[in-house]
Amino acid sequence: MTRLRSHGWIIVLVAVMALGLAAPAAAAEKTLEIGVLGPLSGGAASYGVELVRAAEIRTDEINKAGGLKVGGDVYKIKLVTYDHKASAADAATAANKLIFQDKVKYIIGNAVGATCNAVQTVSEPQKVLFAFVCWGTNNLGPDKPYSFRSMLSQWEVAEPFYRWVKDKHPAIKKIAIISPNDTSGLDTNTAVVKAVKSLGLELVAEETYERGTKDFYPILNKILAKKPDLLDVAASPPGEAGLILKQAHELGFKGAKGWTAGTNPASLVSISGPEAAEHLWSPLNINVKSDFVDAKVRKFGDEYEKRYKEVPGAIAVANYAAFDVITKAMQEAGSVDTDKVLAALTSRPYDTVWGRLAIGAKETYGIDRQFLYPMVISEIRSGKSVDIEQVLPAALKVMKK
Amino acid sequence: MPPSPALRRPLIGYGLLAAASLCLPLLTRDTYYVDVATTILMNLVLTMSLRLEMSTGQLNMAHISFLGIGAYASTLLVMRGGYSFWIAMWVAGLVALLCALPIGSLALRVSGPYYFLITFAFSEVVRLIFNNFFVGWFGGPSGLVQIPKPDPIRMPGLQLTFAGKVELYYLMCALFLVAAAVLVRLDCSRFGLITNAIRQSDLLAETLGVRVFRGKLTAFALGSFMAGITGAFFAHSHQVLHSSDFGLEPMVLLVVFTVIGGAGSVWGPVVGTVVLTVVSELMREFHHYETLVYGAVLILIMLLMPEGLISLPGKLDRLLRRGGGGEAEAMGVGVAP
Amino acid sequence: MLNGFTLALVYALVALGLTLIFSIFEIINFAHGEFYMLGGYVTYLGFAVAGLPYLLTLLLAIVVVGLVGLVSERLIFRHLRGKTLNAFIVSLGLLWVLQAGAQLSFGVLDKSVPSAFAGIIRLGGLIISVERFVVVLAAVGLIAVLYAFLQWTRLGRAMRAVAQDPDGAALQGVNIEVVSMVAFAIGCALAGSAGGLLAPLFAVSPAMGALPVVKAFIMIIIGGMGSLPGAVVGGLLLGTVEGLGSLFFSSAAVNVLGFLMVIAVLLVRPRGLFGAA
Repeated sequence: MTRLRSHGWIIVLVAVMALGLAAPAAAAEKTLEIGVLGPLSGGAASYGVELVRAAEIRTDEINKAGGLKVGGDVYKIKLVTYDHKASAADAATAANKLIFQDKVKYIIGNAVGATCNAVQTVSEPQKVLFAFVCWGTNNLGPDKPYSFRSMLSQWEVAEPFYRWVKDKHPAIKKIAIISPNDTSGLDTNTAVVKAVKSLGLELVAEETYERGTKDFYPILNKILAKKPDLLDVAASPPGEAGLILKQAHELGFKGAKGWTAGTNPASLVSISGPEAAEHLWSPLNINVKSDFVDAKVRKFGDEYEKRYKEVPGAIAVANYAAFDVITKAMQEAGSVDTDKVLAALTSRPYDTVWGRLAIGAKETYGIDRQFLYPMVISEIRSGKSVDIEQVLPAALKVMKK
Repeated sequence: MPPSPALRRPLIGYGLLAAASLCLPLLTRDTYYVDVATTILMNLVLTMSLRLEMSTGQLNMAHISFLGIGAYASTLLVMRGGYSFWIAMWVAGLVALLCALPIGSLALRVSGPYYFLITFAFSEVVRLIFNNFFVGWFGGPSGLVQIPKPDPIRMPGLQLTFAGKVELYYLMCALFLVAAAVLVRLDCSRFGLITNAIRQSDLLAETLGVRVFRGKLTAFALGSFMAGITGAFFAHSHQVLHSSDFGLEPMVLLVVFTVIGGAGSVWGPVVGTVVLTVVSELMREFHHYETLVYGAVLILIMLLMPEGLISLPGKLDRLLRRGGGGEAEAMGVGVAP
Repeated sequence: MLNGFTLALVYALVALGLTLIFSIFEIINFAHGEFYMLGGYVTYLGFAVAGLPYLLTLLLAIVVVGLVGLVSERLIFRHLRGKTLNAFIVSLGLLWVLQAGAQLSFGVLDKSVPSAFAGIIRLGGLIISVERFVVVLAAVGLIAVLYAFLQWTRLGRAMRAVAQDPDGAALQGVNIEVVSMVAFAIGCALAGSAGGLLAPLFAVSPAMGALPVVKAFIMIIIGGMGSLPGAVVGGLLLGTVEGLGSLFFSSAAVNVLGFLMVIAVLLVRPRGLFGAA
């Protein structure tokens, strides 16, 4: 062996690492870098994509208006986004990169429960404000003061939704739920089960499936044998929920349908077909075209559809609102320091695309970090989502003077 | 030709690697780089131990499962059993070893693509167990969170806490240097000759008196032990465990690092891991393009350099010296110097 | 039960492609699921977007994916015959290239494909949708065509000869290069046909190939790697076990069951039910 062969590689390795180290630092000229994380590929990609697109729209709006005026400075917002592919380890590395290398102090947008935990191990000690839509119950807590959930979760939504079902449709007594087998799915099932039981309804089936499943006939056969009055596809994402309803329809199911944690009916209908989705109720969904929502939401929806040729769901609206609120809180605080912004954020309600936003739910999580806004129950009629009633989550009722 | 028993060259190589890894935190203040380097060191131990197992001619797709077994074992010992990390780490390695013995004994009954498939099946079973069963122990799909960092070391004259990235880096560095020393030494020893013989031909080795099964199982057990210890470090440095950390995707990355680097040499995994990790991190911003380019790079390297990147200087060398010539294509069979 | 059977048959098509490639090249093509995905997207583009008749788009899927397979073989896989490890890495690279390519071209969200056939058929006491019935017919038809090809055409027989004994076949004057090329193309085309058949049922997405390819692996291990009847029998067996299993167990347990079957087969009879020793 020659010297070149045996030591050549050591030399190359050192050179490669030096190359990596020598990456130039970003020019710091009153730019505010905000991180966005999400699953941008794989099964949960629809969530991540909505988060990023919403962030892009709000960022562009702010920058086009001349930038974000905070205190005496004007900031141009720059988004830094990474794909964690729904893997906890990848999310931790991406968070490290965002926080230590890109030096962001704000991460607005993340989905998939396990990844939120991973990010929080880095973001909390570093006092990075972290707003996400993850539904893991333990993602919020007094030990995580810098973490916020920007979209209603199953804990805020399940009870009011089922109370509405019980009041308006007393014939419905037997409930079946089906969710994917991961953190969000299991937590959603837990919340729904709790709501169902507390209202005196009967839970006849509680099922989970592996993400990526396409054939739901076996599970549906099991469920339909119990003759449920209402089938709740709970935390299933639009693609899989659409398939479940389509196949339930094929199997002859004619009962009521619910989607407790559903966020994008248009997407679901495109997979299930209008017939199978008829009369599906979604409490969490935000219908960007309806008259129930603020004009600003409709404007956002139009812009989103123009840019991306797809209708946004609740996750996109949530992240848009989160961006809006947090930048407003920076202006209120007169600073981009996260402690000051945190104080400003929790000190008063803000006007957002949801209307008056409050941040609360201490009863559930031990700390007020859940964005609260009125939910709108919508129903699918002839393939279109129609808003039928506005309902307040319990925590918001408590807060309304 | 089998690696020469002489220790001088490997010693220089090892020395350079040790020097580089020990000095790294001094060269950069950026915590992110230290974090990436820690991950690289972890992957180095995993790929080098994988390569040990591959040196007997078998690709063990369950290697990542032992990382997981070590991780969950250590976590449970510390969080439920109240043991110190320093004890849990070794016990975790032992647990991985004890699991490796029956799994290896079964899997090694077959070889070639069947061994690949059976170890893949085992790894999926283990992952599904972590994800769906014994939820009270393993946390189910939510995994385990708030895993404490390694306990501080308090001795007269020495106070070491592991709150920061740099301390964790040095801990992994220590583990890496020990593991690498063992693996390099083994490669240059009689054991290295034995594994080489087995890889080239089971039957021939058997007729020469080599205890083939025992050789394969030893490599498997030792590789799994190292993976288990690394798992303990993984758990307590990441502080969050999820079954997806021990599934097909991370395993595939380990194989890619090892084979692209070159599974024929003990240094191959080092080259593959470092180069590919750095390239991957540099490309992180490009999302799908990253995956596309990464895939294309894999194809090109495997077609142009079947023995891996480690053979590159050798090829250049031959090109320069003799103006190009034929070379043996088969993986791992030593090329004539 | 009949519906589980439908799915198993289509996955058996994927398995047939995989095992055909294995029988000639002795390699495991991890990117096989991506050819399934390509078939789905060709059908999506032809049927949902361009509005061509469904059966025509199915044919299109078979042809286009077959051609992509051909190109892959010529450029990449012909150099890798027998080299399991390198082929594994290369097929992984191809997987990433194809999947990322699909994500960049079509976006990550599921795209639905409308049902080609509406209605329900009643056969005795069994109820099956016309759509699924057509899928069953098509799958059986394709398997029959494959069988006819292998049994009664010269190229097909040459293919079987190469699978059994490449050197012997070469001595008999068989052009190994041509046979391998065609075999690879057919294997990929089979996967593409499966994707096209299931697209109206399950929608298409860039990652849709991941699950079928794992199922295909399990099927060919049980049936015997390199054995074509084995792929079909393995497919039906797995479909039955999973169908029955899901009545009693959770979906996770059923998955574990599939892998335990693989381990059992590999330990007790590695060559599977029909594989060559």
